[in-house]
Formats: sequence, structure tokens, C-alpha cells
Amino acid sequence: MNVTKQPDVLVVDDEPGMRDTLVAILELQGYRVSSAPDGETAYAAVQDGSFDVVVMDIRMPGRDGVSVLEEMGDPPPHVILMTAYAQEERLRAAVEANAFAIVHKPFETRRMLGLVAAASRAVKELA
Amino acid sequence: MAEAEAMVAAPEARGRGRLRLRLISAATLIVLGAVVVASSVVTQRAIRDQERVLLQERTGEAASVLGSAFAGIQQSLSLLGTIAGAGQGRSSLFVSAARSVLTSGTEGLMVTTQRGTGMVVTATAGDAPAVGQAIPADQEPLAHRALSTTGMVSGVLPDGSRSWLAFALGNAAGPGTVVWTRLAFSAGSTAQAPAGPWGNLNIALYLSGRPDPATLLVATTKDLPLAGGFQYPFTVGADTWLLVASSPTPLVGRLAQDTPWIILIIGAAVAALVTTVVEAQGRRRDYATALVEERTASLRQAVTELEQAQAQLVRQEKMAAMGQLASTVGHELRNPLAVIMNVLYLLETIAGAEGSEAMLRHLATAKRETSAATLIVADLLDYSAGRAPMLAPVRVADLVTEVLSVVPPPAGIEVVQHVEPDIAIDVDRDQIRQVLLNLVTNGYDAMPGGGILDVSVRSAEGTALITVTDTGIGMDEETQANIFTPFYTTKVRGIGLGLAVTRRVVEAHGGTISVQSTPSVGTSFKVTVRVGAPVASVPR
Repeated sequence: MNVTKQPDVLVVDDEPGMRDTLVAILELQGYRVSSAPDGETAYAAVQDGSFDVVVMDIRMPGRDGVSVLEEMGDPPPHVILMTAYAQEERLRAAVEANAFAIVHKPFETRRMLGLVAAASRAVKELA
Repeated sequence: MAEAEAMVAAPEARGRGRLRLRLISAATLIVLGAVVVASSVVTQRAIRDQERVLLQERTGEAASVLGSAFAGIQQSLSLLGTIAGAGQGRSSLFVSAARSVLTSGTEGLMVTTQRGTGMVVTATAGDAPAVGQAIPADQEPLAHRALSTTGMVSGVLPDGSRSWLAFALGNAAGPGTVVWTRLAFSAGSTAQAPAGPWGNLNIALYLSGRPDPATLLVATTKDLPLAGGFQYPFTVGADTWLLVASSPTPLVGRLAQDTPWIILIIGAAVAALVTTVVEAQGRRRDYATALVEERTASLRQAVTELEQAQAQLVRQEKMAAMGQLASTVGHELRNPLAVIMNVLYLLETIAGAEGSEAMLRHLATAKRETSAATLIVADLLDYSAGRAPMLAPVRVADLVTEVLSVVPPPAGIEVVQHVEPDIAIDVDRDQIRQVLLNLVTNGYDAMPGGGILDVSVRSAEGTALITVTDTGIGMDEETQANIFTPFYTTKVRGIGLGLAVTRRVVEAHGGTISVQSTPSVGTSFKVTVRVGAPVASVPR
């Protein structure tokens, strides 16, 4: 990655296995990675910090990924949503809330990396 | 089945019922007819007996009345006999006594037997023959009979156009004397009916015990002898007279006479009516029975259908429950599979820097097997939950590359690509990716001994044509006809959902899928998907 400032990525998933492996994989690629175990924590983190990209599970205890996406501040980071379930209503809501991408679990790790890279580029172009 | 039996059995049962009904009707008619005829015959007998009794009574009455009618003249004769006896045959005394004793129209005679000259009249009263005159020869038998009989005798004495009814008493005035009285009358029959309560009788009176025409005193009809007449003999003096009577009209009355016929006619009508009622009731019952049978059959059929429907429902519920379970399990497997794929990526990345070649090979195996598990889970979920596609523009070439990197060809199989690079389609990326994964892995599986897999993508008339062709074992026609049926599989591994889900996904995108296969030559799947479908139109 040829960047002056490494993009900030927030990984949000209630599953520790998924959360930890994604953090490790993204860090291997040189991203600055934070993580949150649920929607509330993620929302607070997004309000406090300035993340370029958020990789977030949809179904989590308490607040779900789509509702966090819907209420993010301005300007919002690019959000890549992950789902293991066929919740069509939530997926449609996610599309309407301008999710950058929706990925069905299990996914090819390379594809996720490609999406994160694309989202980072888009942020830079905006800036 | 039950309905068919009922339909076959119905005409036979109906025929038997009709025959039974006929027998019952016939038996009813015969029994009632016999009762009616018997009643008629018995009644006829009773009426005939009654008629006989009545005729007997009337005849007896008539005889006693007739007898008393001649009582006067008999008393006169008895008196004359006594006088003649007392006067010892003196004629003057007899004549004067006779005048006071005899009624008008009656004559008295005293006859004495004379040796040599026969019977000579010795005294007379009325217009009787003169004294000293011999009595006619045809009157002698009566005189002789009187002489040989104790008591009064009677007889008819012919005398020219007239006849005499004569009563004679022998030996009244001494031996050889005969005293008699006679009454003139028109002999033979008169058409005159007797007066009184016997006006409706035909009567003939004979002065003998037999209906001898020579002894007929009087008859009320010329039709003699009286056919079927009742014979009533009675004694008059020393003689027996015979009264014969018959009745031209029934004594019991016309109605009584006709009663047997009335019974017969009314009885026949009642029998016919009862038979008709029996027959009608039988028909009604047979109809009701047939109706009940018919309704029972249809009810039975309805129950059978209901049971089948219920069984179907239970089956569907079980299937739904199993589908629910499969779906839940499938969803729960997605997270662990995703984590495993991440871990494999991490290991591969680290091993790529410092690991051995063997380690990389094992990791590749783990990745391939994880991909196979992922595909099975995806097929299962798509089959049980069938999510509607969420369309987004996708470059087909990218998708093919990704699929071939996820499932790289096994050893011995070469993949050949003929892909036009810039074809974009509006599809659900994950679903079409799954279609390609299914077709490519099927191709691999069809070539266990190696071969060539040709993947081609080209555009034609607004559609993208994706063809996946292998040089494998091929399929016979029966297999080709079933490959899109859920749970149908010829593989040792797999649950038989791949092609069923593939077709459903393609059709949900408005596309088509077809197969061509020749055993031992290979198989070719063709998928068409429209190019540039609007993103907004998401089919549900």
C-alpha cells in the first residue's frame, strides 16, 4: 500500500473469532485497525474517532449493524456489512442507507481485502 | 377403489332387489287372491244352505196350510161314514145327513158292492150319479182301494173335461160299502200363483208319494217336474201326498245371492290395491337403499381424500420442520466457515513467507474442502430459504476468475477460458457466483480421469451466454431428465441440490439453463442471463 497515512479501519463483530482474524488480516495489509464487539460500542467509536472504513456484522446482540450505519455522523465512513443470515428487510435497508458493500459469510478473504482497498481509495478521492 | 367397487356392484344388487320385489308382489297377490276366492266360495255355500233351509220351511208351511184346506172335506167324509154306519146303509138317512154336512160344490156318494153287477150307487147327495147306477170303471180302483184299506184314501177321478178330487172310506156302512166325497176341479196345472206368503214359490201337489204326473192335483207352473224343487211328503188319511216347491227368485234376496260375486270383485280390487301398495313401498325402500349406498360411497371417498390430504399435510409439515432445521444449521455454519477461511488465509500468508512447500499444499487442500463445505451450505440455504436476487452490475469475467481461484482445477484437468472481457450483467453477485461454482465443480466431478473444462462467456442479442463444457462421462437420458430435481444425485458426495438451486437462481434472474450430454463424450450446460437489467427492479 502506497499511502502517506494508513487508513483507519474499524472491525465490528460479536464473534471473537471473526473479529480477531479480520483484525489480523487487515493489520498484515498495513491498515490501522480498531475493533468493537457490538453495535453500541461501534457507534460510540465512530462518533469519537475518524474511521475511513468500517467492516461490520449485521446481526449482533443489542444494536444491529444496519441501525448503526443509518445513524452515523457526517461525513460517514464507508461501511462494508457482513451477514450470515438471509434477512431481506435489513439488507434492503442497508442498501438504502448507502452501504459500500454487503458481503455474505463465508466470503473469500481476498474479496474482503479488495473491498476494503476500494473503500479506502474512495475516501481518498473524496478528500 | 371403493367407489369403483360400489359402481360395479350397484346394477347387480339393483337386479336382485327388483327380482325380490317381483316375488313379494306375486306372493301377496296370490295369497290375497286365494283368501278372496275362499271367502267367496264359503259365502256362496252358506247362502245356498240358507236358501235351502228357507225353501224347506216355506214348503212345510205351504203343505200344512194345504193339508188343513182339505181338512173340512175329510171331516165331512168321516161324519158321513159314521152316519152311514149308524143307518146301516139306509140311503134316506145318508142323503139327509149328507145335505147338512157337505159344503157347496162337494158331493157325497154311498156305493155298495153288488155281486155280478159290480159297484152300484146306493145313495147320493148333490149332482152325483143316480142311485142304482154303476160307477164308471175308471172310478172302481179308488173304491176297491178304499175297501182294502183301513182309513181314508184319496185320488183324482177323471170325468170328461173335469176331474174330481175324491176321498173314500171303505166298509163304513158294512162290508162291501164305500162312502166317498168328491170335489170337482180343473185337473193339471194352473199358471196361478198361490196366494199368501208363498206367492214367490212354484208349487206342485201330487196325491202320491212320488211326483207322478197322473197323480198331479195342482201346480202353479207348467214347467213340470219342478227342477231342484224341494219335496215335502205328508200323510192325508191312509195316503201320502207330495208337495214339491221351488223358488224362481232367491228367497234370501238378490243381494244375498250376489254376495259371493260382490266379495270376489271387491276382494280382487283390494288385492290389486294392496299389491300395488306393497310394490310401491318396496320400490321406495329399494330407492332409499340405493341412495344410502351411493351417499355412503361418496362419503367414504371423501373420508379417503381427507385422510390423504391430512397425510400430505403431515408430510409437508415434516418437510417444513426439516427445512427449518437445515436452514438454522446452515446459517449457524456460515460464521465458523468464514472464520476458518480467514484463518487459512492468515496461515497461507505467513507460510508463504517462511513455510515449507508441504505446508502450502496442505493449506490448499484445507481451502478446497472448506470451499466445498461452503458451497453445500449455500446450496442448502438457497434451496430452503430461496432469497430473491439483489441486483448490481457485475463483470462476468471477474466472476469467472474468482470462481476458478476458489475452486482451482484438480490434477489432470485443464481449464480453457473463452471469455469476452467486458460483458457486464445486472445480477445478484453471490447467487450467480454460486451458479458458476456449481457448474464448474460439476464439470470437475464428471472427469475423474482428467479432461478439459471449457468455460466460455459471450454476448448475443441482449443476453450473456455462459457455457460450461466438460469432456467427462456424460449422462444418459434418464439422468438428464432428473438432474434439476432436488435431492437427485449420481455422485458419491453431495446432497443433490446444486443444479436445483442453480436453475432456480437462473430463472429468478429471468434467464434460462439447458443441458446437452452424450455418455462417454461429455456434458455442456448453457446459461443465458439478460444484459443490463435495471438495478431497481428486484424480483421477489
